[in-house]
Amino acid sequence: MSKTLIVAEIQNGALREATLELVALARKVGGELVSLVIGSGLSGQAETLAKQGGGKVLLADAPTLADYTSDGWADAIQRAVAAEAPDLILISNTPSGWDVAPKVAAALDAGIITDVFNIENDGGELAFTRRLFNGRYYGRYRIAGSPRIATVQPGAIAAYEGSDDGSVEPLEVDSAASRSEFVEIRSAEAGGHDLSKAEIIVSGGRGLAKPENFEEVLKPLVDALGAQMGASRPVVDAGWLPHEYQVGSSGQVVQPKLYVAVGISGAIQHLVGMKSSNFILAINKDPDAPIFEIADLGVVQDLFEFVPKFAAAVESAKGG
Amino acid sequence: MKILVCAKQVPHKDARLELRPDETWIRDESIKFEINDYDTYALEEALRIKDAGEAEVVVLSIGPERVVQTLRTALGMGADRAIVVWDDALAGADSLGIAKTLAAVAKAEQPDLILTGLMADDTNYALTPPMLAELTQMPHVTAVVKETQQNGEIVAERELEGGALAVVKLPRPCLLSIQTGMNDVRYASLKGIMQAKKKPLETKSLADLGMQASDVAPKVTLEKIFPPPKGEGAEIVEGSIDEIATQVVTKIKELGLL
Repeated sequence: MSKTLIVAEIQNGALREATLELVALARKVGGELVSLVIGSGLSGQAETLAKQGGGKVLLADAPTLADYTSDGWADAIQRAVAAEAPDLILISNTPSGWDVAPKVAAALDAGIITDVFNIENDGGELAFTRRLFNGRYYGRYRIAGSPRIATVQPGAIAAYEGSDDGSVEPLEVDSAASRSEFVEIRSAEAGGHDLSKAEIIVSGGRGLAKPENFEEVLKPLVDALGAQMGASRPVVDAGWLPHEYQVGSSGQVVQPKLYVAVGISGAIQHLVGMKSSNFILAINKDPDAPIFEIADLGVVQDLFEFVPKFAAAVESAKGG
Repeated sequence: MKILVCAKQVPHKDARLELRPDETWIRDESIKFEINDYDTYALEEALRIKDAGEAEVVVLSIGPERVVQTLRTALGMGADRAIVVWDDALAGADSLGIAKTLAAVAKAEQPDLILTGLMADDTNYALTPPMLAELTQMPHVTAVVKETQQNGEIVAERELEGGALAVVKLPRPCLLSIQTGMNDVRYASLKGIMQAKKKPLETKSLADLGMQASDVAPKVTLEKIFPPPKGEGAEIVEGSIDEIATQVVTKIKELGLL
């Protein structure tokens, strides 16, 4: 009988959806389920997880775990592993998850794969699937030895929706584990460029080649459509546009009626921020760009030729 | 202060990535390579710390002979010396094997600070930085967008979701993995490139590090890579460029947005 340990995450006092996605994945893989809740004053949340996910819930509860630290979480996870000897450990690929999981893997000398979107159990052998080359390819992986560790992409698997009869047990931790000190969470600066209410967003990527092109090539289309301008991460990293324009997991998550992606290849961190848009139009000269995977309508053209024609066609449609 | 910067050479952003016949990797014999984008920000941050005071910046990379080019560029930007580790056994290593190799160098070098990119642009694993921290018993922070040195401690800001940041204080020695966009990365000047030719660049094998092939035997294997499945993708608009523009505008009208 195999055993899976999942590491839960609590956000703003509630179980993260991603945690119930781990429950669903663990149940799909099969075997016994153990969950670990790490934090301070979270017995209510642990009870909720026991009812929603089932199995045994270990609660590592200490004042020193109130805020995330790599060492504090690694200590709790390693103690849970020592107590339960799981064959598989699932951790969400969130800022906490990607920070702690590789550290735990090194400490346990265990094989690990990050950001997987699926795990298949073919006769006891697990196959892990994830993206690489920023989404251009998928890779299928195997891990030898035990435990195997995977971090799982949030949103990739439907959350478990059942109810069950689990139980909560305390897990003792080392309250002096952390060498680093959490100081504070700083919220995003209230940007003057709020994309959350825009009906139409036209975003530009690295394909625009230089900052002036946002004004000269993209802006006429933005204006013609009465849209707001957005950008992908590389554009913001290069300093072409301020951070408040960034759409994606580390920028704004948007859901307009129409999202136009211009010269954006579609790295997963961008897709996460705009894939729920009602309608997605992608313009890219590379037919293999991952953005076409999630777009509704695709234009495989050189943007410098197409976008001005497109803007002109919009203008004349409005005139007529 | 000594800063160790770990940098990986990856396929160039604009390289055509075609599958190798055995479908376990891309064909990389004839493509261009460059320093991993994330690692350029780590190197720049190290050079800024050096510019602001006294620091030796050592750049470390694992890879075959082509990696020397990347290290020369790093030296041209201002790093003081470079170390490249290669061994045929490393070709099949997984992230933990790579981290163990980096850790062997780090143990010999005893840096006060290790800086490296959050992840590599080819595999996107983001594994080696926290592994290296664990193997060298250093505290770490990932996805750092700002760091300041304060009385021998480091205050780092790490990127969370939706633009939020966590501020973390940690003692040295420690490891920071760097998020892109942290700073403006400098170019190597002509003078820098000339000087780089005289800077030390050491090549080491696993044996030089007191390691053997079995130390880097992989637990993780990439069995197959394949293009994302087609079928659910976008409807591609065909025709002349004017016809396409007209069709797209018609679609937007249907959506009631014009």
